[in-house]
Amino acid sequence: MKDRDPFYYILQPDFVLMNRRVYKQTLVARPSYTLEIQRKEWMHMTNNHVQTEPLKDKLEDNLNKIRNELGGSDDIIIREIGFGKDRIAHAAVIYTDGLADTKLITDFILDSQTQGNHAEEIDHATDEDNLLDALKSLALNLGDHKEITDFAGLYSNLLSGNTVLLLDGFARGIAAGTQGWKGRSVSEPVAQSVVRGPQEGFTETLRTNTSMVRRKIKDPNLWLETMQIGKVTKTDVAIMYIKGIVNDKIVEEVRARLGRIDIDGILESGYIEELIQDEAYSPFPTVSNTERPDSVAAELLEGRVAILVDGTPFVLIVPTLFISFFQTAEDYYQRADISTLLRIIRFISLFIAMVGPALYIAITTFHQELLPTQLLISLAAQREGVPFPAFIEALMMEVTFEVLREAGIRMPRPIGQAVSIVGTLVIGQAAVEAGIVSASMVIVVSITAISSFVITGYSMAISIRMIRFVIMGLAAAFGIFGIVVAMIALVLHLCSLRSFGIPFMSPFAPFIPADHKDTIFRFPHWAQSTRPRLINQKNTTRELMSRPTKPEK
Amino acid sequence: MVRLLSVLVSVFLLLSLLSGCWSRRELDELGIAVGIGVDKAANGYRVTTQVVSPGEIAAARPSGNRTPVTVYETTGSTIFEAIRKITTKSSREIYLAHLRVLVIGEALAKEGIHKALDHFSRDHEVRTDYFVIVAKGATASDVLKVLTPIEKIPANYLYLALDSSQKLWAPTATITLDELITDITSEGKNPALSAVRVIGKQISQTQKNVESIEPPGFLKYSGLAVFRKDKLIGWLNEKESKGYSYITNNVESTVGAIACPGGGKIAVEVIKSKTKIKGKVRNGKPNIDIVVKMEENVGEVECEIDMTKRETISELEYAAKLRVEKIIKNTIKKVQSDLKVDIFGFGEAIHRADPAAWKTLKQNWDEQFAQLDFNVNASVKIRRIGTVANSFHKEGVE
Repeated sequence: MKDRDPFYYILQPDFVLMNRRVYKQTLVARPSYTLEIQRKEWMHMTNNHVQTEPLKDKLEDNLNKIRNELGGSDDIIIREIGFGKDRIAHAAVIYTDGLADTKLITDFILDSQTQGNHAEEIDHATDEDNLLDALKSLALNLGDHKEITDFAGLYSNLLSGNTVLLLDGFARGIAAGTQGWKGRSVSEPVAQSVVRGPQEGFTETLRTNTSMVRRKIKDPNLWLETMQIGKVTKTDVAIMYIKGIVNDKIVEEVRARLGRIDIDGILESGYIEELIQDEAYSPFPTVSNTERPDSVAAELLEGRVAILVDGTPFVLIVPTLFISFFQTAEDYYQRADISTLLRIIRFISLFIAMVGPALYIAITTFHQELLPTQLLISLAAQREGVPFPAFIEALMMEVTFEVLREAGIRMPRPIGQAVSIVGTLVIGQAAVEAGIVSASMVIVVSITAISSFVITGYSMAISIRMIRFVIMGLAAAFGIFGIVVAMIALVLHLCSLRSFGIPFMSPFAPFIPADHKDTIFRFPHWAQSTRPRLINQKNTTRELMSRPTKPEK
Repeated sequence: MVRLLSVLVSVFLLLSLLSGCWSRRELDELGIAVGIGVDKAANGYRVTTQVVSPGEIAAARPSGNRTPVTVYETTGSTIFEAIRKITTKSSREIYLAHLRVLVIGEALAKEGIHKALDHFSRDHEVRTDYFVIVAKGATASDVLKVLTPIEKIPANYLYLALDSSQKLWAPTATITLDELITDITSEGKNPALSAVRVIGKQISQTQKNVESIEPPGFLKYSGLAVFRKDKLIGWLNEKESKGYSYITNNVESTVGAIACPGGGKIAVEVIKSKTKIKGKVRNGKPNIDIVVKMEENVGEVECEIDMTKRETISELEYAAKLRVEKIIKNTIKKVQSDLKVDIFGFGEAIHRADPAAWKTLKQNWDEQFAQLDFNVNASVKIRRIGTVANSFHKEGVE
């Protein structure tokens, strides 16, 4: 006991006088002990709901147990019915109000049991198996049905909207697919809108989402695997890929990483993203997300894997490359030349958003000789009477802008206008006239802000926003030298990243000339002959097309 | 991982503190010097620095009663000392990277400038893209104290006027410090710098100067200052300076008048000019061939001549050719007889053509240059005659 109980030493009066070694032991022992306690509590809590106990013979016992364990929740509807000849057979229909389609239940189960086609069949069923089969065929009207034998299955079906049929005298039950709840209907994607292209976005319902992808890819090779993740929430998580195009090892890796997740709840795909990404300590996202079915379809066709999570319209795509954050759905719907031009603009924006204020600080405080004389004089004139160094000035404006942006997202809609009016004051002319910042700084901050919106991958834009402040600090201390060092470090870090085994910076590093069909340039579709090479290695031919030709005269 | 990260972050932060923003200078701590003048003083140099007052130049509402630039005049036994001494008069550190002009006073130029130039070629802050000019009949200090119209910064005026007159009119030379130093150290070429004169010295230093529609005091480029090594020895007038520009292949565009066959004048605009100097040594005697290829447009016709005929154009081309050849010959002869110093780089041409002979010739190159034989061969093509064919004088007369 003495060596097992970690509290033993702490409780000893001579604890303070203990030698270092023992003290160390206690230090190590304690956390693992508390972890053990937490683990037990955890198991206990989750076991409340996950019962592997088999169903009982007597209907009454089963129903009591259900009532007990669900705490008599009002939304669990249990209807006891008698049917068959003389209403001898005693049964119960159990469903969750709001999750199950009540109309379906009344139409097909409750009605047919009394007057439907199967009533006679049930009447004539004498032995046990026949009766159950008859019930099954009844449930067949509803399509999906499963046989359940234990409470775990019962609960998971019941709480995901299925209707459970229990029959007195049987230690088995039937779960009929009656899922049907009020969900948000398909609407325009908010974060990734396009001018030309499909205007539908994913919803919060997994099944709707998978159907939207299916509608785009009508191929038997589009495979879907669903698993439940989250001990308490039991969220449906589906992985989707095109067999034959996808790299099977990546699918296996996705499966393995999802299988490793041990958490109480998954409320959004962001949970999954953080739990499966390759590099935990990196500001850059190595998993991208989209709320557009057409984007998912395109990614699947390139051999990627989509991870759909119930309850969120944001679908994860793996593996993700750096370049993915600069491609938009519309790039492929517009003409190739303008798409290329827009990509170049996005890269310029990336540069401005990352080093814009830093360059301004570095040049105006260290390298004034880089400016044309006229510009230097006009910048110097603007700075006359500005009390802060350029770095503080830039920091103030950047922080103000970030505050405004955050306020714009979080505040209730009706007061939005008030904030934008005040916002233009603090970040605009008024700040200049008050003599707190120079006019050129306002321009630099504004262009930086606008540039950061141009980067299409929102999660990438966030990383750039954070890195910007670090580079600003370096620029303030070391000038352009600091910026260059930061860029070198950044490039090194980016080149070290991988997403599900694929180098994050490919096809730039490693350099793959064939994959540059769709990076900075967006080649016309007739020239996009192969899929990205690293992501997919066996089925690389995308098309056998040549340039469209004019009709012969 | 966390330990390593925190160590890295703290080392990183401490590093940035260690440097302490070394060499950081805010824009409003800089006194941006745009012009520097160097004159001879009793013991050393008198340095005149023209510093911009940004608030008066770029601000939305300049006060109007202050001058856009301030001039500091200091003396020191060396240039560097004199420049640093400005801090006793100025609130801001003098920042030399945006220097536009370096003016050398006539008196100092006559004594020799190479000592004075060392600081400007050595200091890391000064770039070598400014023009070096010589004050003619004035001190550098006089030149930098003139307030100029249109351009608020006089040094900028000096820079732009020199640049545009070189590009469009030709008799000036835009020489930067590195070119000047190359010329001084070259054995086969001597430097020539643009000369600037101050007109109306007294009034030009006050705000009044720029208040009248025709400023009574102004700065004017007039020809070139000729140096032997680093010492000023004489001047070239405008025509000779143009000849100098032709020979050194520095004419981008200019305008010249040629006489009409039947009296009157025609102005032609040079739109392209390319000069090649070829040296050769025959029987120990150096010889220079100057070949000029030019294209011109007719810009003004003040005589009765039929511009629609090919023969007329050929005649004009011949007249233009003679004109250019004459300008070049006159310039060389003037320099040979009066100044006796090779500013055209003929020595370098000989050096390139015959390095062995150059070894002996360079011993007394100045004398050799004075008796040098040269041939000038120009070829002129007239490309366009403007938007009208014959002058309306002619049509009216007929």
